[in-house]
Amino acid sequence: MEKTKVKFNFITWFKKNWTESALFSTGVALFVMVILQTVALGFEFDSFGEWFATWANNWINILRNNAGVGIVALGMAFVIISGGIDLAVGSTMVAVGAVLMMIIDNGPNALLASTGITGVPLYIIGIVVAIAMGCGLGQLTGVLVTKGKLPPFIATLGMMKILRSVTQHFMQTNSPKVPTGFLQIASLKMGNLLIMPIIYWLVIAIILYIVSKKTAFGRYVYAVGSNERTAKLSGINVGKVKRKVYALIGMLVGVTAILQVSRIGSMDYANAGSGYEMDAIAAVIVGGVSMSGGKGSVMGAVLGMLIIAVMNNLLNLLGVPPFLREAFKGMIVIGAVLLQKKEEN
Amino acid sequence: MKLEMQNIYKSFGANNVLKGVDISLSGGEICALLGENGAGKSTLMNILGGVINSDSGTILIDGKPIEFKNPVDSLEAGIAFIHQELNLVNDLAIFENMFIGRELKNKYGFLDAKTMIKKTKEIFEKIGLELNPEQMVRDLDTSYKQFIEIARALMMNASIIIMDEPTTSLTEHEIKRVFAMMNVLKSHGVGMVFISHKLKEVVEICNKYTVLRDGNMVATGEIKDVTTDDLAKHMVGHDVRTESLQRDKEIGNEVLRLERLTDATHFRDISLNLRQGEILGVTGLLGDGRSELFQAVFGDRPKYTGDIYIDNQQVKIDSTTKGLDLGIAYVPRNRKENGIIKDMNILENGSLVTLKRLQKRFFIDRKKQNTEFDIQKDSLKIKMEKKLDLITSLSGGNQQKIVLAKWLSSNPKILIMDNPTQGVDVGAKEEIYDIILKLAGQGVGIIVLSSEAQEIIRVCDRSLVMYHGAIVGEVSGEDMNEQKIMRLATGGK
Repeated sequence: MEKTKVKFNFITWFKKNWTESALFSTGVALFVMVILQTVALGFEFDSFGEWFATWANNWINILRNNAGVGIVALGMAFVIISGGIDLAVGSTMVAVGAVLMMIIDNGPNALLASTGITGVPLYIIGIVVAIAMGCGLGQLTGVLVTKGKLPPFIATLGMMKILRSVTQHFMQTNSPKVPTGFLQIASLKMGNLLIMPIIYWLVIAIILYIVSKKTAFGRYVYAVGSNERTAKLSGINVGKVKRKVYALIGMLVGVTAILQVSRIGSMDYANAGSGYEMDAIAAVIVGGVSMSGGKGSVMGAVLGMLIIAVMNNLLNLLGVPPFLREAFKGMIVIGAVLLQKKEEN
Repeated sequence: MKLEMQNIYKSFGANNVLKGVDISLSGGEICALLGENGAGKSTLMNILGGVINSDSGTILIDGKPIEFKNPVDSLEAGIAFIHQELNLVNDLAIFENMFIGRELKNKYGFLDAKTMIKKTKEIFEKIGLELNPEQMVRDLDTSYKQFIEIARALMMNASIIIMDEPTTSLTEHEIKRVFAMMNVLKSHGVGMVFISHKLKEVVEICNKYTVLRDGNMVATGEIKDVTTDDLAKHMVGHDVRTESLQRDKEIGNEVLRLERLTDATHFRDISLNLRQGEILGVTGLLGDGRSELFQAVFGDRPKYTGDIYIDNQQVKIDSTTKGLDLGIAYVPRNRKENGIIKDMNILENGSLVTLKRLQKRFFIDRKKQNTEFDIQKDSLKIKMEKKLDLITSLSGGNQQKIVLAKWLSSNPKILIMDNPTQGVDVGAKEEIYDIILKLAGQGVGIIVLSSEAQEIIRVCDRSLVMYHGAIVGEVSGEDMNEQKIMRLATGGK
């Protein structure tokens, strides 16, 4: 069969992709933001080298500062694609962070002080416990949603309140110190660059991308989110899929807790992670994940996070008053959903 | 009032649904609108009801052209559409439903219940309906609910009433009641369009008919000049094949046995057995519990009592996953809600059931997924362009075949199909029958759930008839005919 040569028409190509692919429009939006941000950064530098160094450094800062929420957003993408929502991520992070600090503390009040384990082995125990605890709390949410038949909004709203309140109560009298060795997890330099958090984010994103595309579990998440009834009637254990999804986001929150503790070396139990749930939800929505489930991608969750991150940076560069910045975030979320292709009945 | 629709055209995308259709109706007439699924009946009536707009053509009322942009226009012109899914709020009283959206208010701006009740009573008297307007709608039989809609239409001065399959879910007794009502309306000079598949009812109640086939008007005239056979012939375009399909196969060992299966509300005391290569029909009217019964057998309703045996082994089926593992395949009714995943492509829909098995170590084996799909695609003769297109790009018949393909790739021992030819066109229907027979020939035990007696008669070896959750009879051979099935399904002996 001979292919007829069609003259490449940029406008038609663009229009077609814009309407058909959420990822494409998100990519274009990000591209525009990056251009704006580059312009805002200015060109008043002595040399190209100096400009590039400033530009790159600015980018490393953006990525590093958003790696924590970025990792949560990856899990949030799975949760929302499966038709659920998780409001408890911020509180879960605080709870996991508190337990983690109690474990790795090398003071006399630490949980494992009597065992005499210190240094790297202790950190490893801390990391394993943090991830397992996140996973367990997620699993609990999953059980409430699937066995308790609670709407995910309610189940995670409850978990959100419980976890932060209990953590704050118990940590009133405890103030664990994070040993300096543990800080290496986030601050170990690669070459001369502080990019460990970015690498974690990237690696997890790649793994989850593959999971979403190439495993039965990944496809089940889409099936359950798009049409739970059909999924169930195709012999899929819908409850199990959902519990796995909540366990997954719990694990990722565990990772974020580790990152947070190792970056800052302490935790503000009242405020740390508050707003994470909304930031993560905003990121995946901007990235083209549909709130009604079944649609979206891991790539979208990364791009969406980047859009929000770049926008924050841009507002910063432009000197927009801090109180107004959240308004822009709000506008971009609304704008993104307005642009998303609407389903016709 | 005289209504005429002339030369109506309508297409959805490349699909020409109506190709120049004419229909006319005068007050005091009951016109049957006939045609198979997909012939264009609903589209034509939706145009008349203002639900959708035609591409071209004219609608005349008493000779004057009129345009319906939305349902309100149509209603104001005196045309009321009684849909199959009744448009009533169950939690409100009858009179509240009568005035919904147009409530009467007193001078203080509050609802004027007294006047609404009075006006409702007046309408009821006119059509001889003895109901208390303050009764809750939820407590009414379906036929009475239809009357409420009719009364509401009359209150809005409707002089043409379109009734979309009003008798489908009714018992014989209720059908008589509806017919009596239609005769009352007729005597009041109301014109009616009666959409139905039940030709015997058509001959009984209507005085005119119009038959659509593939978007064309193929026949119209007076009912007194035709027989039900003539009408059926017009509908399908050739002599109707009603004979049982020929088959030459061996019935093997028992694969499924149910003993005294009962659940809280839907079915009770069900015992039956199914053998390899056998095609067992289960039929009845809406609400007979057959769908729920086999949802339980498949594991979708784990709360049942009684015993299920597969290959003579007692099993407890408490999840659909268990049902799948035991070799049961289940093609559900209402494909859009239960059968397909609209956000997924054809290939993924077609391999949803076997995905777990296709996963090698960590990843789905794409090559195997494609090969297995292609085998089903060829054997079921599924027509499609690209496997990676969305499932919704396919016609109803091909979508149904994908649902079937997804199950057949799991090599089931038992295949349960609920309304297997729902929303597929005539050609695809015959193809699906052929597939069912072929599978039975390969030794699969098949259960066909259907409310179409014709379908049961054509493909099944024998059939059980259910009524209000219980099996009331079994028919096979000569006994398996429409009259006998209908009598059993409506609770007769």
